[in-house]
Amino acid sequence: MMWLIICLALAVATFFYVFYLPGRLFLGPEKTRAGYLRERKDAVYENLRDLNFEHKAGKVPDADYTSLKSSLQDEAATLLAEIARLETNPVPQKGTRS
Amino acid sequence: MSASKGSITNLNPKTKSIHRTLSAAKALLLCAAVFALLGAGDPATRFSEIGHRMMCVCGCNQILLECNHVGCPDSDGMRNELMASVSRGDSDSLVEQGFVQKYGPTVLAAPTMKGFDRMAYILPLVALFLGFGLVVTIVRTWKNRPAPAIAGGLRPVRGAELEQFRDQAGKETDL
Amino acid sequence: MAEIGSFALLLALALSVYTFVAGIVALAFQKQTPQPAPQSGSQITHRSGASASVNDSSLVALLRRGSERIGETARRAGIATFAAVFLAAVVLVLCAFRDDFSIAYIFHHSNRDLSGPYKFAVLWSGQEGSLLFWSLLLAAYGFVLRLRYKTDPRLFAYASVVLAGVQIFFLMLVNFAANPFGILEGPLRPDGSGLNPLLQYPEMVIHPPMLYLGYVGFTVPFAFALGALIMKYPGEKWIHITRRWTMVTWAFLTCGVFLGAHWAYSVLGWGGYWGWDPVENASLMPWLTGTAFLHSVMMQEKRGMLKMWNMWLVFATFWLAILGTFLTRSGIISSVHAFAQSSIGGWFAWFLALSFVVFVFFFFKNKSHLISEHKLESLMSRESSFLFNNLLFVLLCFTVLWGTWFPKISELVQGNKVTVGGPFYNRVAIPVALLLLILTAIGPLLAWRKTSLESLKRNFLWPTVGAIAVAIFLMLTPQKWGAPFGLKPWQDIAYFYSLMAIGLSVLVTLTVASEFYRGGRVISKHTGQNMFASMVQLTHRNTRRYGGYIVHFGVVVVIIGFAGSAFNQDKEMEMKSGDKLTIGAYTLVCRSSTEDDNPNYFSQWAILDVYKGGKQIDAMTPERRFYHASQQTSTMPFIRSTLNEDLYLVFEGVNQDNGRPILRAHLNPLVMWVWMGVWIILGGTILALVPNAPAPVRVPAPARLQQQAQPAPVATGD
Repeated sequence: MMWLIICLALAVATFFYVFYLPGRLFLGPEKTRAGYLRERKDAVYENLRDLNFEHKAGKVPDADYTSLKSSLQDEAATLLAEIARLETNPVPQKGTRS
Repeated sequence: MSASKGSITNLNPKTKSIHRTLSAAKALLLCAAVFALLGAGDPATRFSEIGHRMMCVCGCNQILLECNHVGCPDSDGMRNELMASVSRGDSDSLVEQGFVQKYGPTVLAAPTMKGFDRMAYILPLVALFLGFGLVVTIVRTWKNRPAPAIAGGLRPVRGAELEQFRDQAGKETDL
Repeated sequence: MAEIGSFALLLALALSVYTFVAGIVALAFQKQTPQPAPQSGSQITHRSGASASVNDSSLVALLRRGSERIGETARRAGIATFAAVFLAAVVLVLCAFRDDFSIAYIFHHSNRDLSGPYKFAVLWSGQEGSLLFWSLLLAAYGFVLRLRYKTDPRLFAYASVVLAGVQIFFLMLVNFAANPFGILEGPLRPDGSGLNPLLQYPEMVIHPPMLYLGYVGFTVPFAFALGALIMKYPGEKWIHITRRWTMVTWAFLTCGVFLGAHWAYSVLGWGGYWGWDPVENASLMPWLTGTAFLHSVMMQEKRGMLKMWNMWLVFATFWLAILGTFLTRSGIISSVHAFAQSSIGGWFAWFLALSFVVFVFFFFKNKSHLISEHKLESLMSRESSFLFNNLLFVLLCFTVLWGTWFPKISELVQGNKVTVGGPFYNRVAIPVALLLLILTAIGPLLAWRKTSLESLKRNFLWPTVGAIAVAIFLMLTPQKWGAPFGLKPWQDIAYFYSLMAIGLSVLVTLTVASEFYRGGRVISKHTGQNMFASMVQLTHRNTRRYGGYIVHFGVVVVIIGFAGSAFNQDKEMEMKSGDKLTIGAYTLVCRSSTEDDNPNYFSQWAILDVYKGGKQIDAMTPERRFYHASQQTSTMPFIRSTLNEDLYLVFEGVNQDNGRPILRAHLNPLVMWVWMGVWIILGGTILALVPNAPAPVRVPAPARLQQQAQPAPVATGD
């Protein structure tokens, strides 16, 4: 009989925990296009720092370094320009939300 | 060897000399093989080598010479048989054949190089070559393909704006 | 007690089903009714159920709010699942401690005289208990995941649903197919039939939890990957979020695999640590694909490439972990240490098929989301080295899978089974592993995107010279110096492989050292610190990269340990007091043999004095036990480990005619290197988990971007 009471108490406690939601719900940051672009910018920046480091460590010769750095800087510039556009001229976007 | 000697008599001198050279090479190879066999023919070494290529059949799933339980119904008998065969001077394949006939094909610790068993070795090798070819092809294709459009529907920037942001990126990531 | 356990399991199943269904419903509604996006930047939206504002009147807002609340209940149900499964596990352990033999599982896996820790280990010592334990670990991972949902609530909600799906399967198993709380039929027995003696070893108390943590853990990266695919997660941030989960899981699996090897070495008494048994293979396969994933996922994170491949790789790792369980539980492949054959094989087969179908469906549905973002610049790049690395890891995994299934395939094709044992794997897998070692040496020297042949040659020259010099030295030295000296590759193929393995290990070590040196030099130039301080700072600034290199170093130490097996020797002898056995440089003299009886087992052992160079250096006491409850025997080898070699002594039994002990001595060189290497691997992994130290930003960012600017690390990349 004891076990029946324990099981019942267990079920009630679980039910209470799962369905009683008195407080505020945390919905988290909504991912925006600018946020997404910033993540990508961070990745390109990391690649650029990496390239600089590998060049200094003697793994990338000067000629390759210049061309690789230039293409990464182009990519970063594209991202920075778009981020700047979004920040100066905020338009409601949901491009990256799904 | 005698057959080749016999055939030399009917050939011209140049061909004869080539055949002689070949025969000498064959003889050398044979000698080398004999020595190699002699080297490998040390009964203790052969016992160990063949014994490590066989399984104990008692169900312990261990290599015959690694089966370690005293009172194993099979391994002692099998070891004695192996020792007897090796002492008799039976060739490796003959010893293995004898064991396969008596205990079934599972007595060999690895698939043989005959029939379907060969597939066990061939398939990983084929997979290696195919995979290698595939990766090389992928690398070449990816290298030659045009740079993909910038993901996320971004427009490339130009002119002064490009220079400004390029500069910014350069400075922010400088060491 | 058993009733509470059974009820807790049923409750856990109900909660999992709720987490799964409610989670899907919530996500489906949220997809239909998207939250109005904030205009820009990352704003954290807090919303209360009672005070939700302006749009309340609209049906959309109502639906959305409702779905958010349902989502929250799903998350809480997931957390409660853990509590319920935990309770069930506690009940089972309590039943073991209370010797409740009315429960069939406790009767079959415990007995009154079993010592405490092993009673605790009863939880994972048999089929039903270990499935409960599996469920518990999965629920525990889910618990942590659902508590940490604030990192990215939507992504975590998707991952939570996938985890709940897997959890349902395991809870169905323990509820309906292998219930650990099943009651023993017939009269109550006074004592249990005992724990398998092979499992009565301290390591056995930690080996299964580690292995299971690894197996189960790969469900988490898989759940995130599938979740990100289903929701078309924008960007690659999810990889960053799951990176630590993957590394921790990988470390657990590595630990589990090697603890298993160490247990086999210390308990099974055949003198080796790896027998290529299907159960061992089952643990190796997900490790191989998981390791491949750890490497290739960096390409996705840094370059937005290999997205589809990574998706398959993480799925394969998860799937192989389940397949391994299927192999060992279904009895479809015969193995020495597989669980008892039972009907649960069918359940696993269905689950494997279902998970495959679900994955393939979503993969093809959202394939367009996985398009590569960059092209490959050069064959000589870190990227292409990762491609080859993945090829070799997957090929090794395929070889192991093929070897494990070949007996079955052979039976189907030619009507008879064959054995696929060590000699097969040595022939097929070792060359591939050596190729992998070459890549491990070259990989770190390649820069991302492009490396010139000149710089590769320059950086590779000295490590290669060093490795060749070591190899020549090992060839020319006399064999009497002991392993690994006197490695004459023409004498035996095993020597050839050993020499290659050691030579390549030296090569890897030198390239890793040169990476630390070169990186340290750059930091040193910038900061003016000494070399050592610079290297420490370098490591701290990019823990993943340099921690990874330490893991590579650990791997080569393990490989050197493996290479020692080419020199293994063994001898067997029946010994009476005073008899001598000589193996290598050691002479063993039998002093006496004796026996003892205690409530749990009857034991016999011998005492042998160990002499080296005419001096006594040690005494060894190999033992053999007969467990009363299970009526089974077990050997307790005595292992004398040194850095050079292990002297491994087994008490094999007693000659019934004269009562003399039969002893087998193994001399296994370099085995300790294997265990040392694992410690280094773990150390490297822990280091890789440490957050990077920020480096000062030299150029201040423009005001607008400054708010977002993160402290920039100097050295990055992997």
